Amino acid sequence: MPDTASVKTGALKRLIGPVIGPVIDPVAFDFWAAKVNPLLSWERPLARVVARQVAARDSVTLVLKPNRHVPPVQAGQHVPVTVEVDGVRLTRSYSPSSVGGKRGKGCLAITVKRIPGGRVSSHLCQNVRVGDVLELGEAFGEMTLRPEVPRWLYIAAGSGITPLMSLLRAQAAGQSRADVTLLYWARTRADLCFLDELRHLDSHQPGVRVHIILTREAALLPGEHSGRPDAALLTQLVPDLAERRVYACGTGGFVDSLRTLLADQVAGFDAEAFTLPERAAVAGAPVQVTLRRSGRVLDIPAGEALLPALEARGIHPKHGCRMGICNSCACDRISGTSENLNTGATQTEPGVVRICISAARSDMTLDL
Amino acid sequence: MTALPPSISSRAARKSLSRERLSREQVEQFGAELDALRERTLADIGEQDARYIKRIYAAVRYTGALGRGLLFFGIFPPAWLLGTLLLGISKILENMELGHNVMHGQYDWMNDPRFDGKTYEWDIVGTGDNWRKTHNYSHHTYTNIKGMDDDVGYGVLRLFPEQRWRPFFLGQPLYAVIFALFFQWGVAIQDIRLGRYFAGRMTGAELREEFRPTGRKMRRQLLKDYVFFPLLAGPFFLPVLLGNLVANGLRNLWTFMIIFCGHFTANVEVFPKSIIKNETRGQWYLRQLRGSSNLTGSKLLHIMSGNLSHQIEHHLFPDIPARRYAEMSKEVRAICRRYGIFYNTGSLVSQFSQVIWRILRYSLPSKPVKLDGKMLMAD
Ligand SMILES: Cc1cc2nc3c(=O)[nH]c(=O)nc-3n(C[C@H](O)[C@H](O)[C@H](O)COP(=O)(O)OP(=O)(O)OC[C@H]3O[C@@H](n4cnc5c(N)ncnc54)[C@H](O)[C@@H]3O)c2cc1C
Repeated sequence: MPDTASVKTGALKRLIGPVIGPVIDPVAFDFWAAKVNPLLSWERPLARVVARQVAARDSVTLVLKPNRHVPPVQAGQHVPVTVEVDGVRLTRSYSPSSVGGKRGKGCLAITVKRIPGGRVSSHLCQNVRVGDVLELGEAFGEMTLRPEVPRWLYIAAGSGITPLMSLLRAQAAGQSRADVTLLYWARTRADLCFLDELRHLDSHQPGVRVHIILTREAALLPGEHSGRPDAALLTQLVPDLAERRVYACGTGGFVDSLRTLLADQVAGFDAEAFTLPERAAVAGAPVQVTLRRSGRVLDIPAGEALLPALEARGIHPKHGCRMGICNSCACDRISGTSENLNTGATQTEPGVVRICISAARSDMTLDL
Repeated sequence: MTALPPSISSRAARKSLSRERLSREQVEQFGAELDALRERTLADIGEQDARYIKRIYAAVRYTGALGRGLLFFGIFPPAWLLGTLLLGISKILENMELGHNVMHGQYDWMNDPRFDGKTYEWDIVGTGDNWRKTHNYSHHTYTNIKGMDDDVGYGVLRLFPEQRWRPFFLGQPLYAVIFALFFQWGVAIQDIRLGRYFAGRMTGAELREEFRPTGRKMRRQLLKDYVFFPLLAGPFFLPVLLGNLVANGLRNLWTFMIIFCGHFTANVEVFPKSIIKNETRGQWYLRQLRGSSNLTGSKLLHIMSGNLSHQIEHHLFPDIPARRYAEMSKEVRAICRRYGIFYNTGSLVSQFSQVIWRILRYSLPSKPVKLDGKMLMAD
């Protein structure tokens, strides 16, 4: 449930919005509104942290109460979370580990694993406290509930458990009697999130089987397994593999190896990778530059200044000085790695890029 | 004050300048030192700068709200005075330290849509988009190049002997006062270039089309300051309207003064178009430096001028957060000293009297000065 204050302003805004909407400055509105309630905003989707629990070693669950601008999230999807770290706004995707649940219908919980040196995960795990406000975006993802599928195999590695957990929870709450086997890989027992709840589901929820596989644990307890994913282990743990549809989630490498192993052995295979493989193209190698607004896709040599490269292909973006001073050619880099040709610095974070002095160093999407 | 009359100090300084011409190689070394200063500063940009610009934003909001609040009690003269002053301060801060700097992309690295240089819209009748073109592009790229930088006299003033005298300029002391009072309107129509219309190079329909966004912005600004807020005050309509008018006027005068001090003091130079042919980064830096002048003063002056009191540093590093210019200016000065380059700075009184002197002096005919072939280097 959105909190009462935002319901009230919601009604207020519906009433006066059409009248004053065109003259209102949303930034100024938010500035004053936040003095009353930090969740109030003219249009920004915000959520307040209402609870914080340590979920496992280096992992923290944050329960979020969204305001009315946060679009609905389905179990299994991921949402962009934006935080400010050292003055810079950074956005990362997190798959809620539960949507709805006992804290109220609109709440969601994200479970974040801290990556050493990771800017957003460290901030979320170490600095964020109850009462803080995060900005959310629109949820994405196709790995959602599909009641028509009779048998599932969920495979998670590390923090990849999150979307699968939220699917399991939704299935358990919906009394759908879904037949789900979960294989959950982690390094050690201390890295496992939701362990009690998973054990409980395994023993009390008909149709649910949970297998824990630990890769770095010295001594295994009964019921635990070890080893990397391979054909032998998979057929041992899941005898009816061929009848199950797979949702897999983990790092890029993990997901890729599963796909090779399983894709034509199972009733269907979908996966989500949490780390995109790092690909900094060498100078001259062709990279794909996608222009979002015009929908054009171009091959451009990595390391070549974007503005002249686009012009050579018949596209004429707005520009000025062609030397990085006037900011006229600034546009949003939605994804991809760019290089500042004046300094040689590379930038992977989505943000503003001056195309006259920047080159692509990976496939890239520009807001042009 | 012991300063020489502007015309005398000007001549003396000009002479010493012409003696100090650098070789091509020295200019590149000079540029490399500025590049290094730029990189050093950029490496340190971060949380403090983000906090600073948010504080400036908050100051704009608080002074604005307080000013407008007090103006509702504007039938009491002290409330009117204080309210008007606070609203003027709010508008000055918003236009200069916030809007102007944000629109240069100085805070783009924050990734914060509130401080996004390419979309920011400021509290003045001119549109952000027009400003980004005339100012960020034309003025900053072609600084003080006659015929390319519209800011050289804004098409109505003759400020340099290199500009051809016409009898029209006899009236320029008057035009300057009018321009100062209505500065925001001048800025608003700068890009429309009515001249093209009068010269018949643009149809009325084209002009109307080009004017549309500006017209919309003007309407919005006028409605806000002269209809919406005065109406909100009910019976005190008139004091609020007058307060808003005076606050806008104060902002106009102040920005005019600061901006003119940045490029039209006695020792700044103008350049011919030929100068940008094959211009290197070092030469670009040197041209920026010789076309700009600074103001000395208190921290308050720097903030209220949007740090355009450090016009030199702003022109060398237009995309670095302006709060850094004060620190950088120490090094820029030291670098200039080492290369024997004149660093043009002075108090507001001294620099602005030089501006006034230029306005008065060049309203009258003067011996024409040729720009052709002017170069920055000795070789
Ligand atoms: C669809 C999707 C859903 C996601 N859901 C979750 C979730 O529910 N919970 C969660 O904790 N994370 C999730 N992630 C990962 C998350 O978005 C961030 O990538 C992660 O938190 C690291 O961000 P950072 O800013 O801390 O690290 P950065 O500062 O971006 O990176 C620091 C270094 O760590 C490396 N790195 C980044 N991510 C990982 C990783 N997962 N494993 C190992 N190395 C890494 C980077 O290559 C880089 O070298 C999801 C990612 C995607 C794409």
